[in-house]
Amino acid sequence: MAMPSTNPATYTGFSALKLIGTALLPFALALVVAGVVLAMAGHNPFDVYRLLALESFGSSKRIAATMAAATPLIFTGLGTAVAFRAGAFNVGVEGCVSIGGLAAAYVGFTFVTLPAALLLPFAMLAAALAGLAWMIIPGLLKARLDADEVVTTLMMNFIAVAIATWLVNGPLLAVGSANSATPMVAEAARLPRLMRGSTLNAGFLIALICVLLYWLWGKRTALGFETRLAGMSPRFATATGMNVPRLVLKMMLLSGALGGIAGGTHALGNVYRYVDGFSPGYGFVGIAVALLGRGNAWGILMAAILFGALSTSGATIQLFSDVPIEIVDILQGMVMIFAVARFGALGRKAA
Amino acid sequence: MLDNLIHAALIMTTPILLAALGGLINRTGGIVNIGLDSMMLFGAMTALIVAADNGSWLLALAVAGGTGAFIGGLMSLVITRLKANEIIVGLGFSIVATGLARFILKSTYGVSGTLRLPDVTRLPVIDIPGVADVPVLGAMLSGHNVLTWFAWGMVPAAAWFLVRTRAGLRLRATGAGEKAARSLGLRPLAIRDASTLFAGFMAGLAGAYLSIGLVGIFNEGITAGRGFIALAAFYFGRNHPVMTALGALLFGFFDALQIRLQGRGFPPELVQTLPYVMVIVILAMLAWSAKKRNGART
Repeated sequence: MAMPSTNPATYTGFSALKLIGTALLPFALALVVAGVVLAMAGHNPFDVYRLLALESFGSSKRIAATMAAATPLIFTGLGTAVAFRAGAFNVGVEGCVSIGGLAAAYVGFTFVTLPAALLLPFAMLAAALAGLAWMIIPGLLKARLDADEVVTTLMMNFIAVAIATWLVNGPLLAVGSANSATPMVAEAARLPRLMRGSTLNAGFLIALICVLLYWLWGKRTALGFETRLAGMSPRFATATGMNVPRLVLKMMLLSGALGGIAGGTHALGNVYRYVDGFSPGYGFVGIAVALLGRGNAWGILMAAILFGALSTSGATIQLFSDVPIEIVDILQGMVMIFAVARFGALGRKAA
Repeated sequence: MLDNLIHAALIMTTPILLAALGGLINRTGGIVNIGLDSMMLFGAMTALIVAADNGSWLLALAVAGGTGAFIGGLMSLVITRLKANEIIVGLGFSIVATGLARFILKSTYGVSGTLRLPDVTRLPVIDIPGVADVPVLGAMLSGHNVLTWFAWGMVPAAAWFLVRTRAGLRLRATGAGEKAARSLGLRPLAIRDASTLFAGFMAGLAGAYLSIGLVGIFNEGITAGRGFIALAAFYFGRNHPVMTALGALLFGFFDALQIRLQGRGFPPELVQTLPYVMVIVILAMLAWSAKKRNGART
């Protein structure tokens, strides 16, 4: 398969204004299409959207809920973006979320005698390493053999979820638990909450630090520059003496580690264990986040908050109205589709 | 026991084979169809609704195939005309379709997840008198429904189409190079759209097979990722119809096997991963041999 026609690497370096414009158009179009779906089902789209906005940003508590929902998406968005920037089309962050979450939960309920100062970092490190390890095979295949990473990483997602499901149904199943879940992690392994009565936790701060690091990496470091170069033109990068395969492998592994951390914060900050159906598609939404944010650090942050707002408000509007929560999935998928559509291509005659 | 397994393997092969043949044609034309699962899902839903409402399985198949083709057409237009990345669009369609199916079930039928309708006309099963009682052969040939026969009939048809017909040649030319095809006076984008319509049609039929062929109800998880297994099958078959059919058969066998392995101490979850593992192994082997060839040349 040829490299995707929309090389995500070219998204970098947009001016801030243009960035906002290009990010808002897909979102606006998705709102229109989802609005039609809502209207056909007999709901007033404007009322639904007003409610969604209110439930996302209406009070400090709701804003906290939005940021909490955005936390894993920031990680998966960044994880996807680093691989994209190196020219590797990694769609396997979803699998890393599961594997990372499981690893964090395992450490969290196994080494219960450790103090919080050790256990929490240990569990987070396990999550990152597990995610990283999950990308070794597709990363090596891409870097050394140029095997199609889209298909390998997509397949790795299914394998990850199946292995995790097997583990929580058998070897790691909590004693006396009917549903497929691990035991709860120790108090000491839980990410501290930032606000009373909200699930917002320290994972959000880690996410913000990662955004900052990603921005610095892209702007200030040689590695960030080389990565962008390798993503835009591997041949030129090779000609300048860079080891492109090695760089691609590194970025695939980093991508996996970030996916693992996403799973780790979800396990240690929200659910406190690994259960079947752990990730509601955080990795896939992360692709939409990376695309909508155009690979830009602050764009990714904003896109993650936007998608976080959708998922948190979607959960609550189902309680207050009879609008099915699935409208959120429809919106998320639509944004993904419109984010890669180039409407400028319509008027142009094919070359 | 063996007869049972052969029969079950063939039953589980059909949906994968139908979608894989569609995806194969699509990929030959130059589009990797990640959205097969979404087309399968809507094929399954519409087939059940029509088969319950109208009572004609043939009409149900037509509507299911048509729905799949419609979704395929939409997806194709976004890819060919708006130059959107096929992978992202395919994943996006899968996400939207899952959400939309649940949304429709809730808002139209007031049910969550599973749709049961009264008086669903099922696909007719063809029993062959005489052959049915022959061991092995009976399990292979008798007691299968019309779509299974159609799916296997499409294997040589697809091979013949790709190699022997003008349209097949044009499709391959389009997949090989958009510019080259255009310089031959072809319209590559339209050809690609047509191949996606076909892929959607086949995936829609695969969905109908699951709902009105196998179980008689619709469930949001009815495809169980078979659209992606189909993707694995045509990657496994490297776009050859016969090899793809073998891949589909192998994955159908795994599917039948893991149902039988449940409750025997062997984890069925791990058996389910086999198709995915095999695709990675095969891609690795292909890439390795390609690299060796290139290495020898330089």
